[in-house]
Formats: sequence, C-alpha cells, structure tokens
Amino acid sequence: MSRDPFTLSKKGIKRNMTPWLFLLPSIVILMTFLVIPIIEAFQWSFLDYELISNTSEFVGFENFQEIFTDDMFWMAFINTILYVAIVLPLNIFLPMILASLVNQKIRAVGLFRVLYYIPVVTPIVVGAIMWKMLYSQDGALSSFLVSIGIIDDPMNFLTNSTTALIAVAFITVWKGLGYYMIIYLANLQSIQSQLYESASIDGATSIQQFRKITVPMLVPSMTLVSILTIVNGLKVFEEIALTTNGGPAGATTTLVMYIYDKFIDLDVSIASAAGLVLLALAIIGSLIQMKLTNQREDDLRA
Amino acid sequence: MKSNSRQKKILIYILMIGITFITFGPFLYTLFISLKSPGQGIYDGLLPDDPTLVNFIDAFNQTDFLLYLWNTIIVTGIAVPLNILFSSLSGYALARIDFRGRSIVLTLIIATMTVPFQLYMAPLFQIAGDLGLRNSHIGLTILQISTAFGIFFMRQAFLHVPKELEESAYLDGANKFQVWYKVAMPLVKPTVISLAIYTFTFTWGDYLWPLINTTESSMYTLSIGLAQMSQNFDGGNLKLISAASILTTIPSLLIFIWLQKYFISGTADGAIKG
Repeated sequence: MSRDPFTLSKKGIKRNMTPWLFLLPSIVILMTFLVIPIIEAFQWSFLDYELISNTSEFVGFENFQEIFTDDMFWMAFINTILYVAIVLPLNIFLPMILASLVNQKIRAVGLFRVLYYIPVVTPIVVGAIMWKMLYSQDGALSSFLVSIGIIDDPMNFLTNSTTALIAVAFITVWKGLGYYMIIYLANLQSIQSQLYESASIDGATSIQQFRKITVPMLVPSMTLVSILTIVNGLKVFEEIALTTNGGPAGATTTLVMYIYDKFIDLDVSIASAAGLVLLALAIIGSLIQMKLTNQREDDLRA
Repeated sequence: MKSNSRQKKILIYILMIGITFITFGPFLYTLFISLKSPGQGIYDGLLPDDPTLVNFIDAFNQTDFLLYLWNTIIVTGIAVPLNILFSSLSGYALARIDFRGRSIVLTLIIATMTVPFQLYMAPLFQIAGDLGLRNSHIGLTILQISTAFGIFFMRQAFLHVPKELEESAYLDGANKFQVWYKVAMPLVKPTVISLAIYTFTFTWGDYLWPLINTTESSMYTLSIGLAQMSQNFDGGNLKLISAASILTTIPSLLIFIWLQKYFISGTADGAIKG
C-alpha cells in the first residue's frame, strides 16, 4: 500500500491521532499545572510582578541583584549547603549498612525491612511532630544524654542555634533511610554470590569482603543516592517549617524557606528569582556529582 | 567455624534491633505519649502508667479530625485512580506507539522532573485561583492527577511487555485502546500497584501545596489540620496531638504493609531503571 505524503487518508489521520489521544489528558494537565507555571516563573523573575493587581513591569536582572545583596538570602544559601553537607554522608553510608544487614539470609529480615521503611510512608507532618517531642527540653533524647553524661543540663535541640540545623537534618535522614536502603538492596542482590564465595575461599574476612567487593560494586547506587540527596536536600522545607520555622535567629532558614517567606509576603518576583537559583544549584549539583562518579568508576575499572 | 557464624548472626540481630530504635522508636514514643492518662505528665516517664484511650476519643470529639480525614480521603480517592489512568495511557503511547514528536514529549516530561516545586508554586497558585480551584478538593489534587514521574514509571514498565502478545491481539482485530487495556495493562499490574501506593502516600501526606491552596479550615487535609493543631505546641494538648498523629499514620501504614512487596520492588525498579 503506497502512501501519499501530502494528503492523508481518513485512516491515516486516525492512526496519527491515536497516540495523541492517549496523551491528551496528561498533556492538558501537565501543560496547565506544570509547564505553564514553570515558564511563568522564568518570566516573573525578570518582572516586577504584582500578584493582586496582576500588573507587571520588566526589570531585567534587578530581582537577582536584590537577592544577591540580601544577607538573609546568603544565610539561607549557606544553610542549604550546610544542610546538604550534613545529610549527604549519612545518606550514603547509613542506608548502605542497613541494606547489608537486611541482605543476610537470616530469619525475620523481612520484618526489619518493613520496620526500616515505615518512616518513608509516614506523613512528614507526623514525623515532624514526633521528632519535635523527642527533641524538646523534657523529651527522651535530652534525658538520655543527661543520664549518660554527654550533656550536663536538659536542652531543646531545636531552639539551640548550634544543634538546630543538625537536629532537623537528622529528621530528613530518618525519613529517607528506608528508601535509600532499598536502592542499595536492589544493587546488592545483583552482585553475584560467587564473588563472595571465592573471596572467602581465599580467606578474606567479612570486613575485607565488604571493602573490596561490596563497596566498589555499590558505586552506581552511591551515585544515585548522592544525586537524590543533593536534589532533595536543596528542596528541604517541611521538616524545617514544621519544627523550627527557620529559627533560632535564621539558623535553619534554607533557600526554600526564603522562597516561601517571599511568597507569603507576595514578593513573587523575588521568590521566582530565588527559585531559579535553586534550580541552577540542583542542576550544577547533579552534574558535578555525575562527573565525579564517572571519574571514580573509570579509576575503579583501571 | 560454626560458632563463629552463630556469633556473627547474634551481632547482626543486635545491630538490626538497635537500628529499629532509630527508625521505629519515634512511633513508639508518640504512641506511649498518646496512651498516657490525664494524671500523668507528657514527659513523665517513658511508659504510660495507666494506659487509656481517652486521647484518641478526644481527638475525634474535640477536634475536626473526622472532617480532615474526610477531605484527605476524597483528595486521595481522586488522585490515585486518575493518576493511574492518565499516566498509563501516556506511558503506553510513549513506550509502544511510534509517532512523530515522541522523543520530544518524553524529553520534556523527564526535564520537568528536575524542576523544584518551589520554583513554580506562585504561578501555580495564581492559575489555581483563576480556574476557581482554590479551597476545592479538585484543586488539592492537581499536582497528583497526572504526574511526570507516573508517566515515566509506567513507560518503563510497558517497554518490557512482549511485542508478540500485542501483535496477536492486533491480528484478532483489536484496536490500540483495546490492546492497551486488555493486553498491556494486566501485564504491568505490579507497576500499577506501586504507582498507586506512591500516589497514595504522597497525596495523603502532602503538606506544602494544601498549605498554599487552602485558606478555609473546612478544606484542611489531615496534614494541615495536624500542623495547625500543633502550632501552639507548648500550650497545646500533646497527648491528643500524638493520638491524632498515630491515627493519621495508620491508613498509610496499613496500605504499605498490605502491598509492601510491590512497593519495595517498585522503588528498586524505579531507582535502578530510572
């Protein structure tokens, strides 16, 4: 059957329409609620946009100048980087240990996998309330640390400016442990058991096996976990908004808290400009991470 | 050798139980607080001296817990089936139908996944207002009724459906919609279930968008209601809030435990293939 490229037959039109009919609902929804808002955010960052009156004026890079000269922005920027720097190593190594433990062929590991995964499916508001109680001055953590002599007096970890950021970061780590554990677990289960068998015949100890076989084989998961941690860590909001609300004295104000505060004040152009900085950071972070890992993978192969 | 491996096992169990205190400890702590009687202080001792369910009853009677629960059920009940339907239709077209523009659509969808929500929440807030979707159940679901992640996730699953099965259906005279529904969908059931749980847990626990898009307390979801209740944390009744927190977590927990096999393998697949 020959096809005339210029006049489509009725059947041809129908065939060409079919994929678009499949895509239609998603495209309408994603266009309206995702693509258009993203494009608008780009535009707003170069406008002085009034949300209420719906009026705007082109201001070029003024919004960016304003945020780059705002001390609060830089404080939020540094806090965000610090936050990622605290979470990143914990997210890379703790779930790896968890995955190695629940990868053993022993009884009841299934139960432990479930128990470790539960924080992932817990609403973050509930998680924040639970940790807020644990961290409070009269809470369990403070009493425990006093009783074993690590701290002298009971303290609230969320209102102390030296501990607040670490305390909140740990909520993020807690929430993600199970998720990242599963990523590592899937990777671990793809490692051939012969590798371990021949290593033990050669007399390698468990720790040697972990260092020489497990860790190198887990590099792909480590990359993925790092990228996810960077991208998600830059976006951290709920844990902070619900526990410290950015305090004490801005010690836990992150970029997203900054964006949210600007949004609440209806400074939507400033919020959009800061949002673009956030997007840029996310892209740069993942690119650096990918580049570093490619390097490492090449080194390992060499 | 044998005693050595036995010692190793005991060590592993001790480590695993120790980690349970970190992951599950906060739940137990909250549960114990929620069971403490009016006579016992919130932080007085770890265990409830005289366990009571009065805080759970109060959570129902003295707060709008049932209203928030109802709103959350409606929002989740809209989001889950629609996201499955729309994402699997799109995912199928992108995996199985050859058409011009396919790779552009796919690239665009993947690209949007890296954009932080906080970048476009202000324009989205305005669009929701223009469309009359503020303070409405539909308005609360717009981020979940079709997701880039869902489309990509379903597409990955459809890529693995054997072509021969579809071809024999076409020979029997089926059209593309029939092949999608009758041949392909049943074969990707585990992925559909994982997507359902993802959408469920996300919508059930979502906080930022409901916070922005609801101003009337009659439209609050459980997350917003709980956050409001715990706002006056020091003065508030923490035992009641703990009880409400436990109740809020139970549906997510039950669904997860019921379908955890799919959920966990779905997470792994999504992570490794994605």
